[in-house]
Amino acid sequence: MDRMDTALREFFGDAVVLGGRAHRLVPRLVGGPVTLEKLAGRFRIEATDRGVTRLYPGRGVLAESARARRHAAQAVEELGEYLAGRRAFFSVDVDLAGVAPFQARVLAEAGRIPFGETESYAELARRIGRPRAARAVGNALGANPVPVIVPCHRVIRGDGSWGHYAFGGEMKTRLLALERATPALVGCASTRIVCRRGCPHEQRVGEANRVVFASVPDARSVGYRPCRACRPDAAA
Amino acid sequence: MDEATFTRHAEAYAGRLYAVAYRLLRNRADAEDAVQRTLLKAFAARAAYAPQWAVSTWLYRVLSNVCIDELRRRRPPPEPSPTGGGHHAPRVEPMDLARALDRVPREARLLLALHYVNGLSYRELAKIRGISVNTVKSQLARGKTILRKALGD
Repeated sequence: MDRMDTALREFFGDAVVLGGRAHRLVPRLVGGPVTLEKLAGRFRIEATDRGVTRLYPGRGVLAESARARRHAAQAVEELGEYLAGRRAFFSVDVDLAGVAPFQARVLAEAGRIPFGETESYAELARRIGRPRAARAVGNALGANPVPVIVPCHRVIRGDGSWGHYAFGGEMKTRLLALERATPALVGCASTRIVCRRGCPHEQRVGEANRVVFASVPDARSVGYRPCRACRPDAAA
Repeated sequence: MDEATFTRHAEAYAGRLYAVAYRLLRNRADAEDAVQRTLLKAFAARAAYAPQWAVSTWLYRVLSNVCIDELRRRRPPPEPSPTGGGHHAPRVEPMDLARALDRVPREARLLLALHYVNGLSYRELAKIRGISVNTVKSQLARGKTILRKALGD
C-alpha cells in the first residue's frame, strides 16, 4: 500500500451520494415496452412564436414567450388526443425555420400523406420532383425535428418493411396500427356534417349521432357536407 | 430470472453501478445514462443470465461494457503539455489524478475504478472482465505505473 494506493482510494472512494436517485435510475422495466398511452406526456416540446420547433423524448416544454407556450400547450393536447385515438390530424403550427430547404420540402410533403396511409421513400422522392433522391428523403425524414406531428412514420420502405424510426420500429408499428384502427372521418347524423376526427365540432357529436366514413366522397354520397372548420375535403 | 427479481437486484445495485460509472465518465448525465443502459441491456438479456454467476458480477460486466463503449466514443484526450514535471507534491491532488487517469488505457482504467470504487477483489474483477487473475494484476500495476509517471512521482 503506497501513496498511489492511498490517493486512488481517496479519489474513487469519495462517496458519490445517490440517495433516492438510485431508484429513479431503475427504468420502469416491469410492464413491458412503452405503450402509446405511456408515451403521451413523455415528450419534450420546444416552440417559438411561429410554432413547434422540436419534439423529442423527455418531459416539459421549452418556450420563451406566451405565444410560444400556447403553441406548445396545443401540441401537448393534440398529441394526447392523437395517441388516445381521438384525433386524426394536427392543427398546431410547426416552425421549420431552422431546417434546410430540401428537408423542409420533404417534411411538408410527408405532412400531406393522409392519416392511416403509408407511402414509400421513393414515392415521396418522386412527388418532390427528385426521383433519385429516395435515400436523401430517408435522411431528411430521419432528422425530422417534430416526429409524430410531421408524420414521418407514414413513410416506409418500398418493399413494405418499416425502415428506420427514431423511436424504434416497435413504435412505428404502434403508430401505424393506431392510425389504422382510428376512424379518420366522423359524421354527425343530425347536422349531416362530416368532420376529421379531433375537430372541435367532431368532439361535440353525441354517441348516438356518430357515423364513421371511409372517405369524403362516401359521406357526400349519403348527403353529408364537409365541415368548414377542419376541412376534410381539402386534407387529401 | 423474473421481472420482480430483476427489479429488486437492479434497485439494490443501481447506486454502486452509478458510483463506478461516475468515476469513469466523470459527469452525472453520462453516468446516469450508462446505468440506465446497463439495466435495460441486462433486463433484455435476463433470460440468458446463468445462475452460476453472481448477479453483481453480471451487472458489473454489462456496465463495464457500456462504459468502455462510451469511453471509446469519446475523443482521446489531448496530450497534456509537459509542465515542469518532477516536482514533488506532498499529496496527490484529486484534479491531477483525474487528469492523469485520462492517460491510462481504458481497460486498466475500468479495472482501477471497479477495484477502488467498490473494492472488488482481483478474482471478482477477473470474472467480470472475463480475463485471468494475473491479467487483472498486471493491468492494475500497469495503470498505476502510468499514473505515477504522469504525476511525476
